[in-house]
Amino acid sequence: MKARPPKRPLLFLRWFCREDYLDEIEGDLIEIFHRRHEQSPAKARRQFLWNLIKHFRPEFIRSLKLRPHYNSAAMIRNSFKTSSRNIVRNRNYAFINIAGLAIGIAVCMMIFIVIRFQTSFDDFHSKKDRIYRVLTEYHHADAATIFYGKEVPYPMPVGLKTTFPQIEQVAPIYASHNDQLDVLDDNGSPIKKFKEESGVFYTGPSFFEIFDFPLLAGSYASLKDRNNVLITKEIAEKYFGDWRSAVGKTISLKSGGSIWSHGTDILKVSGILATIPANTDFQLKLVVSYRTFFDGYFAKSTDWDGIGQNFGCYILLPSTIAIDDFNRQLRAYSRTVESPQNKDSHIIQPLSAVHFDVQTGDYSNKTISRRLLNVLWLIAAFILLIACVNFINLSTAQAVNRSKEVGVRKVLGSNRAQLQTQFIVEAFLMVAGAAVIAVIISILLLPYVNRLLELSLSFNILRDPAITIFLFAVTIVVTAVAGFYPSVVLSRFNPVHALKSRLAANTTKGISLRRGLVVFQFIIAQALIIGTLIIVRQMNYFMDQPLGFDKDAIVNVPFRTDSVRISRMDYLRKQLLSVKGVRAVSFSSNTPVEDDNDMWTTFRFNHAAKETDFYAISKFADNEFVPAYKLQLVAGRNLQPSDMTREFLVNESLVKSLGLKKPEDILNKEISMWGDHIKCPVVGVLKDFNDRSFRRDLAPLLITTDVVMYSQAAIKLATTDIPATMSSVKKIWEQTMPDFVFEYRFLDDKIGSFYKQEDQLARLYKIFAAIAIFLSCLGLYGLASFMAVQRIKEVGIRKVLGASATSIVYLFSREFILLIAIALAIATPIAWYYMHKWLQDYPYRIDVSWWLFAAGGLVAIIIALATISFQAIRAARANPVKSLRTE
Amino acid sequence: MKHPSIGEFEELVLLMVAALHDEAYGVSIRENLVEKLSKNINISAIHVALKRMEDKGLVTSRFGGITEDRGGRRKKYYVITALGKRILDTQYDLRTGLYKLIPEISFGR
Repeated sequence: MKARPPKRPLLFLRWFCREDYLDEIEGDLIEIFHRRHEQSPAKARRQFLWNLIKHFRPEFIRSLKLRPHYNSAAMIRNSFKTSSRNIVRNRNYAFINIAGLAIGIAVCMMIFIVIRFQTSFDDFHSKKDRIYRVLTEYHHADAATIFYGKEVPYPMPVGLKTTFPQIEQVAPIYASHNDQLDVLDDNGSPIKKFKEESGVFYTGPSFFEIFDFPLLAGSYASLKDRNNVLITKEIAEKYFGDWRSAVGKTISLKSGGSIWSHGTDILKVSGILATIPANTDFQLKLVVSYRTFFDGYFAKSTDWDGIGQNFGCYILLPSTIAIDDFNRQLRAYSRTVESPQNKDSHIIQPLSAVHFDVQTGDYSNKTISRRLLNVLWLIAAFILLIACVNFINLSTAQAVNRSKEVGVRKVLGSNRAQLQTQFIVEAFLMVAGAAVIAVIISILLLPYVNRLLELSLSFNILRDPAITIFLFAVTIVVTAVAGFYPSVVLSRFNPVHALKSRLAANTTKGISLRRGLVVFQFIIAQALIIGTLIIVRQMNYFMDQPLGFDKDAIVNVPFRTDSVRISRMDYLRKQLLSVKGVRAVSFSSNTPVEDDNDMWTTFRFNHAAKETDFYAISKFADNEFVPAYKLQLVAGRNLQPSDMTREFLVNESLVKSLGLKKPEDILNKEISMWGDHIKCPVVGVLKDFNDRSFRRDLAPLLITTDVVMYSQAAIKLATTDIPATMSSVKKIWEQTMPDFVFEYRFLDDKIGSFYKQEDQLARLYKIFAAIAIFLSCLGLYGLASFMAVQRIKEVGIRKVLGASATSIVYLFSREFILLIAIALAIATPIAWYYMHKWLQDYPYRIDVSWWLFAAGGLVAIIIALATISFQAIRAARANPVKSLRTE
Repeated sequence: MKHPSIGEFEELVLLMVAALHDEAYGVSIRENLVEKLSKNINISAIHVALKRMEDKGLVTSRFGGITEDRGGRRKKYYVITALGKRILDTQYDLRTGLYKLIPEISFGR
């Protein structure tokens, strides 16, 4: 055995040396080495290295150009041609690849469009970087938890303007809800009536100094004077037909809300706003001059301790200001104006954070958390990755088929770089095709996405360069990710082996990689399935879990109280009760469960000197409230019929918060709230029910009668023939309260709407999980069909030797089931961790039990088996004579 | 036709290629030169000279068969071309001509 020359230097030589000189130089070097080796091995090695290094000179170094001899343009053209031929020849694989990639890219693009829309909120204002929202920082009692609210005290705007000269603009804004607007004719009598659930804002001209909402006609300055209103082009067209003739027309505004709502205002249209873009949290419809309402009491108000509901404030600061410093001043200012026991502070928040502040919310209820956006990105990336994995799997599986081609090309003089280029071009063709199909899919699906997410996204690939850039980027990245590895594998073949068909032994490495990729795919798919199962179950919990009161077949009809209508309420109740399907009628300020529409108050209990250190929800309701909603009393009795505040009902939680042991202890004790405006004894204790959404813990509750506070009727219906009952109710209502638009809402629909975001999330997850499992199975199908072809001889021999069809199906399925089981084992802890974290947000939540994971795994295995079985059964039923005869 | 120029070391290598006739390849050329000149020569120098002369058309080469003791690498044999021979002849003539011009002076033999 001859001594071997050092390996590393030799590799170095092979790397740098020209191919045509290599034989001679390497051969000579080795020969010299051998001769010297007999005398002194160490010296021989040293000399070998030295000789080798001396060869590292320009004459012997290979050319830096990769393809010096070829016309590369022609080669690329040839690559395109052979690639397209190849795609056509392997139609099935190409179809699976392109379909998978197209779906992956389409999902990615949809998510990109959604996220782009979400991140573009209010970024069109020219002064956006200097706009801030004033927040109230609630220090509830002495609790450590701090809440933020977008509501501020009424004196805030004036106070800021006079105290902080550095503020450039201050805009108070009041968002009204459920307003009724009547279009008036020249004599002042209503022609048309409209109800606007939201979009009526009260503010001054400074609002438009801060924000950019262009005006088509009229002037912003008109908002200085009371009873002027700017309306959007859309509203103008809806109310008056043509926006050009709308200026100068009059409308009457019956503002919604309950307590502080004032009488009807007659407003003059003083300007038309251009269409409000979809990506703003100010979905303006009518902008009423601030002074119309906030002139007398509110303008002079010095009540810094009360928080004006729906009353907010935006400011414009100079760019030089330091926010932390300003916040410090503002906090100090809060201390000086608020009463000593009030610990709330005020801070400012940049406009760019408003849309992502889910806790605080905004005026459009369209906030979205950054976390959700990140999750969406992650899902997009994973789905694209699954599609890429399919591509890699199928391409490497096909490698054996392509080996002959590679062998012949290499023999004819192709080098690796050229072959790699060819395979990457092939991948690029498929990805580009998939991208085109993805665009078509996106265009077709966008209306559904819009409906699902309640957005108004548009897809215009030509107008929005970002989409084009994104598409190009995705195409290139996917080509690189999906095309690179297969091209390396395919171009690596040794031509001698490839042509002798000796590759089978070599491909085991590829198989284990492919297995790994399948496992990876199924980890993602199963994690998504498990996640979906948990979200859907939590949703069902939200909807089905008893709230502690009866919510079925209850209709809520909002109205506004004034002296005229109060006098009609008893008559209305009697009329309604005479309808056959009506069981009970109750008037109240709101329903037992509200998500974000409660009045909160502190109070003095039993003549205590200090107010309570916790807040309670206060509701106003008549004596029918308890029976209509089937609330349960644990102590005392129901309220007596009364038009004034006379008695209190409380819940168990309030009793507990007061530190009392038994519910009976609170009976006949006095509660005094609103600075002794309301002062009466407790007569009953209600069993705890969920007075807030399941997203939050239930809160202490006070209920008392007061007819001026009622703003809605609750009508309990018999379950039979609801439409007929409702039409009678409508008729009675319109007779009794003719100047209002009749509208109603079923209580369970309303409760359902609390969980709109969760519901959307659940639907999104369902879709993503379905896509992930579909894509994974697409890859699995391709792989199984390929295996069936590869192992056709083996199956033939097995059958000849007596294997049954079932045993062969088992042979095919066994491996995949094992892979999916491994994937499940990995997916389970990941899914558990993330879903556990998600559930922590909800005080009322399901238990994550083991069978959810088992179900997720089972679903994946069943779907996967169904996918493979088609191929497996076809292979098992094939006639062995046929498969063995052909060679 | 102008003959290509040739350096001193190249000339030595070319002479050796001609002398070894058909058995001239990198290692054999080097060994013989080392022996004749009693001076160590690096194989890379031989290779460079051979390549240059091949480019100038003074030698041609062919590959030999594969042998085990060279790590499976083929030998590359060099033969002198007619042009190479002519150059050697010219050089030889030039040198002997010049040599003959030396006057018959005794160097103190």
